[in-house]
Amino acid sequence: MSVASIPAGTVSATVPKLHKMRMARRLFSSLGWATTGFCLALLSILMLWILAVVAIRGASAMSLSLFTTITQGNGGGLLNAIEGTVVLSVGAMLLAVPFGVGAGIYISEYRQTSWATAIRFLADVLVGVPSIVMGYFGYVTMIDYLGWGFSVAAGSIILAIICLPYICRTTELALEQVPNALREAGYALGAGEWRVIMRIILPSVLPGILTGIMLALAISIGETAPLLYTAGWSNYLWDGRLTHSPIGYLTYAVYTFINEPFAEANALAYAAAFLVTSFVLLINVLSRFVFDRHHQ
Amino acid sequence: MSTRTGRVNRLSNAAVAAIAAGAVLVGSAAYAAEIRLLETGSSLLYPLFNLWVPDYQKKNPDVQITTQSTGSGTGISQAISGIAQIGASDAYLSNAQMKSNPGMLNIPLAISSQMVNYNVPGLNNDHLKLSGPVLAGIYEGKIKYWDDAAIAQINPGVKLPHNGIVPVHRTDGSGDTFIFTQYLSFSTPDWSNSPGYGTTVSWPAVQGGIGAVGNPGMVNATKGTPYSISYIGISFKSATDSAGLGEAMLENKDGKFVLPDDTTVSAAVSEMTAKTPADERVSLIFAPGPQSYPIINYEYAIIKQKQTSADTAKALKAFLNWAIDPNGGGASHYLKAVGFVALPDATVKLSQKQIDSIQ
Amino acid sequence: MKFRTLLAIVAGVLPGSLAAVVLFLTIYSWPAIRFNGLEFAFRNTWNLGNLYADPVTLGGVSIQPGAHYGILFLIVGTLLSTLIALLLAVPVGVGAAIFLAEAVSGKFRLWISFCVELLAAIPSVVFGLWGYVVLIPFLAHHVFPLLAGTLGLAIPIFGGETGSGYGLLTAGVVLSLMVVPLIAATLRDAIVVQPATIREASMGLGATRFETVWKVVLPNVNKVLIGATFLALGRALGETMAVLMVSGNALNYLPPNIYAPISTMAAFIVSQLDSALQDPTEMAVRSLAEIALVLCIISVIVNGLARLMLLAWSPGRRLAR
Repeated sequence: MSVASIPAGTVSATVPKLHKMRMARRLFSSLGWATTGFCLALLSILMLWILAVVAIRGASAMSLSLFTTITQGNGGGLLNAIEGTVVLSVGAMLLAVPFGVGAGIYISEYRQTSWATAIRFLADVLVGVPSIVMGYFGYVTMIDYLGWGFSVAAGSIILAIICLPYICRTTELALEQVPNALREAGYALGAGEWRVIMRIILPSVLPGILTGIMLALAISIGETAPLLYTAGWSNYLWDGRLTHSPIGYLTYAVYTFINEPFAEANALAYAAAFLVTSFVLLINVLSRFVFDRHHQ
Repeated sequence: MSTRTGRVNRLSNAAVAAIAAGAVLVGSAAYAAEIRLLETGSSLLYPLFNLWVPDYQKKNPDVQITTQSTGSGTGISQAISGIAQIGASDAYLSNAQMKSNPGMLNIPLAISSQMVNYNVPGLNNDHLKLSGPVLAGIYEGKIKYWDDAAIAQINPGVKLPHNGIVPVHRTDGSGDTFIFTQYLSFSTPDWSNSPGYGTTVSWPAVQGGIGAVGNPGMVNATKGTPYSISYIGISFKSATDSAGLGEAMLENKDGKFVLPDDTTVSAAVSEMTAKTPADERVSLIFAPGPQSYPIINYEYAIIKQKQTSADTAKALKAFLNWAIDPNGGGASHYLKAVGFVALPDATVKLSQKQIDSIQ
Repeated sequence: MKFRTLLAIVAGVLPGSLAAVVLFLTIYSWPAIRFNGLEFAFRNTWNLGNLYADPVTLGGVSIQPGAHYGILFLIVGTLLSTLIALLLAVPVGVGAAIFLAEAVSGKFRLWISFCVELLAAIPSVVFGLWGYVVLIPFLAHHVFPLLAGTLGLAIPIFGGETGSGYGLLTAGVVLSLMVVPLIAATLRDAIVVQPATIREASMGLGATRFETVWKVVLPNVNKVLIGATFLALGRALGETMAVLMVSGNALNYLPPNIYAPISTMAAFIVSQLDSALQDPTEMAVRSLAEIALVLCIISVIVNGLARLMLLAWSPGRRLAR
């Protein structure tokens, strides 16, 4: 009906205008796709650039002795740092997993309580606290006030606090997938809360929780700032003491040895960067694999 | 249900394996109960410790010494807090620090000197002449360009470029900052009023000025920044040379321009070390004498007199005594490699006395 | 004890940690907060005073003579580097999200999305390493002189000395790379779950596919974009290692142009702790704690806002790093 309202004479004038408009719109769309495509290509190229630098320089610095000898001054190997990273991360997970999973269960299974709502929100806020602030907190409390010195305990506790919210929230997300029928069936059979949650619900979502733990592990391996003033650094293997004994870790080697004007030290930094990046990416890929298999 | 239990079992097996692997790591780490000493601090002393420690450990396998290059500031504060047994520092403790931390020892291990390095393309082999007041002017932002009249005046015949000077300073607490700012303070009244000297000073805001961490960071920043200037410990001379940096001749108290070498450093040593007090806290900066190099200093081990255990104290004393022994760590092949000079006999005696007091 | 109560207590570790961090930092920095007053945020003087003089008593507290603590240059450095990071990251992130969600399909999309997310997993010290080794020489020798020679002629902040490569723009570029995956991934998820009906309606009216995305789908997810931007903001504000390695660690001055060295609050805490420990009166360490506290409060607020905005969209489908 709108056609009817257009005076006959104007029709011929509108057609080329419409045509022009279509051209402009086509151009706009093509430009749009080109620009957005360029953005994605840019991101991919930059990512490949970073990975290529780390992989090429790291691979050329690789040798067996890196894994068998400890750091000596500006050279030597990374065995102490590799062991330290493992010890600190395992320590962090031992602390963070029970608390994180427990908190996740609570905010999922008792979601209606206001305590759960508050914790869910605060977990998200805690994720955003800069890791250096955590490190400084650790320094002020554990190193300085409690007098632990640079230590595995202080480093692991700070890493655990950083990892907590991730584990908590992924556990919650995993538990959300569990159909209510499963819970109801459990209760109907007369099982208590403990039994229903620990024996029925938790086992069914283990892969989901595992995904979260793996991501948290990747984060703890990649952290530097919170460890500088809590774990310290050591050229030697860990002596088994939880306090009063500093420990090495790979990210420290990256930060410190790239700054040295000696090629030997730089090679250590590249090797450490290569190892850290490989660990972290490998864990991410694995966790995605676990997650996908679970969701098929 | 059976597949689920299977999965859980597999997971718990994996967990057991992981814990077992962890236990093996822990076990292998704790295989021997040696004495462990942590040395941290001065990046200037770090290269020397890296020469010392492997040799020392060959003869003393029951002592493990970790070396760490963090800056004298860290060395001092971690020695005070007991985190490190040996705080390596190019600076001695202040009166206030001595007062609030009684029982801290400042034990010289060797004598070092400091270079002023620059990166002015084309002039890096020319040993530009610089004086305390000119350096103060540069770090205060009053002397902005390389062809400033004040620089041109003491470098007649040198074709200086009209490029902005980028002063590089240390961001970490640093003994190099301490001795460099002492040189500026003692030679330039203006600087001694403010900012003065210390392991950290409030650097005047100079547009473009950058901060770097440790001597290594100073070398890299100067190398990567044309028209920059910096102060770097002598033990990094091989690094500054391979980076192609220029090394300035500095004006001494007698108005002569000198480079740090055996002759000029020894000349300054003989002028200054005689007045070393019993606690050995003394500045060796800006020595008189036509030959004297103006920036030399004692390299200190900052030690807590009272150690946590008798065994630690014993190991620490043994190592320190070895370090200042002219037939041990004080041997010239160690010191020459990093450009240091041995302590004069009188200072060695004072140091020994302090080492003996460690418990 | 009931299982439920036990869980509630275990869950209390989360708010407990957050409260402990804020509480201990406040207690520890309290003398500094009182000594520094409001001028802390508005002055360009981080000055530990004369460390080799005897402490003096000023206003009831013991300090080294000449000590002054003002962190305006850190606040400006933090805000400007974050701003540059967002200015670069938001358009690129939006573009990449659109292309991923609309132009790439099937298995390919999954893989590329995953790769973009992997970018977020690369540790910050590795970004710093890359920035230090590769980006700084590249920018200092090729990009900055070019920018100064073109844009610099028209816009003053792009002109002037291009410097060493360590500085504001470099820090901004590295930060943008670190936050862009966050924006791209969150936004892509939001675009993908938009109902097909609105697209069909738009295409049915004759809009092209791109017009549909740009003018219909995107406005629908603007809340998500804002939320994701805030998350990116929070991360950029607190980022430490990468900034520390590329920012030039400027002290006590504001950057005159976009290439000049800066420092940020987070990086300053790392670079200054051992210097601050030299102060026997402890005022310097406590002032550093005050910086940590300020940074903590800012990021808590920014993150709280971001979560509230994303909450309006869906109950937290993605965990942002």
